[in-house]
Amino acid sequence: MAYSTFSKVKNDALKEPMFFGQNVNVARYDQQRHAIFEKLIEKQLSFFWRPEEVDLSTDRKDFMAMAEHERHIFLSNLKYQTLLDSVQGRSPNVAFLPVVSLPELETWLETWSFSETIHSRSYTHIIRNVVDNPGTVFDDIVDNEEIVKRADSVTRYYDLFIEMCSQYSLLGEGVHQVNGEEVVVSLSALKRQLYLTLASVNVLEAVRFYVSFACSFAFAERAIMEGNAKVIKLIARDEALHLAGTQHMLNLMANGQDDPEMVAIAASCKDEVIEIFREAAEQEREWAKYLVKVGSMIGLNAEILSDYVDYITNVRLRGLGLEEIFDIRSNPLPWMNAWLVSDNVQVAPQEAEISSYLVGAIDSNMDDADFDDFDL
Amino acid sequence: MPVTQLMSSTVTINDVQSFAYDEEFSLLDSMEGHQIPVTYNCRGGYCGLCKVKLTSGKVNWVQDSLVCLEDGEILVCCCVPDGPIGLAI
Repeated sequence: MAYSTFSKVKNDALKEPMFFGQNVNVARYDQQRHAIFEKLIEKQLSFFWRPEEVDLSTDRKDFMAMAEHERHIFLSNLKYQTLLDSVQGRSPNVAFLPVVSLPELETWLETWSFSETIHSRSYTHIIRNVVDNPGTVFDDIVDNEEIVKRADSVTRYYDLFIEMCSQYSLLGEGVHQVNGEEVVVSLSALKRQLYLTLASVNVLEAVRFYVSFACSFAFAERAIMEGNAKVIKLIARDEALHLAGTQHMLNLMANGQDDPEMVAIAASCKDEVIEIFREAAEQEREWAKYLVKVGSMIGLNAEILSDYVDYITNVRLRGLGLEEIFDIRSNPLPWMNAWLVSDNVQVAPQEAEISSYLVGAIDSNMDDADFDDFDL
Repeated sequence: MPVTQLMSSTVTINDVQSFAYDEEFSLLDSMEGHQIPVTYNCRGGYCGLCKVKLTSGKVNWVQDSLVCLEDGEILVCCCVPDGPIGLAI
């Protein structure tokens, strides 16, 4: 029903479901129904970084010295990453905020989306550095047929969910006539679309992004475009957190730890979710072929990238408690691990605002005994 | 840590292979030190790739897990043994 920016109805947020309960009123974090989202917020805040911190001066020289087919791989990959983060910088907010009902999840959605805007800003930082006219790269994102195809598949579920939510908000449940057409609005259909949209977001961040990360890191494995890889390493660290977020939402729904109605909906969506993963894997393999159509580079060809698509798809399916759909068991790009490790990104607590370091500085557990030796 | 407690922190993998935990930061570090193949990415408790089954014993958590875990599942990057333990990987 109609969204309220501050519902005056007093409620207990601990009893609300994640979505489609009462709109959040008080943004309070002293209590949480699902504490995991508070932990994710803390972690994401501790990860804060700015693209300008990374020096890209040698990347320009590397880019100038690259062969034409390598430039095609690098720029196409960067365009795809720009597209994905353009979507993610706004969509969790636009799609999920109007229907979220837990304060900690509301703030997680905003924190998550905000970090995606940092990623978008970092692509501008990278593109400005390697080409004289960034406009040629950005304009191609909406002109290039291959990229536009990607845009359609990553936004389809989001767009339908947003449209259905608008109808629900404006018209409520029931059968309505809109512009001479019959529109059926049902909350259970909306919840089903929510589950599928979350699954498609998980695929975006957990599969599609990782294929692009593999391309970025493949350059740095050859000791070129290392500044770019440092930026992508920071982005990958954030994305691992985001995909954990969508995995939690999907698993909480499917396991009956949230809205009881979602258990049956999740079970009925299982085959469709697997199909979303399978379709994305196919599209990523197609994309791999497009990347290397002018020529492969050392350490990265269409076959090895396709094997990685299959491997990472299996890993993500397991994360949602679903069966693997491809035969591959071992990681065909074992060097990726070194780029996805987080513990060597920031090391000194006095130099970086690590959350545990700050939290540990304040003792919030006080009782009367603490004032025993206190005289006025 | 008393010597007896250190001696008793034996980690048994799949009921066939054992090694002694030697106060490494995490079980993952200890397993790597003993050439036990284990997949990992982030080493920070949020990618979930180092998830294994704890088949016996107890562990202490040295950092928070941010991924979905079922009963009996642990992340080896986030835990250290508390006495003898068994893992299925």
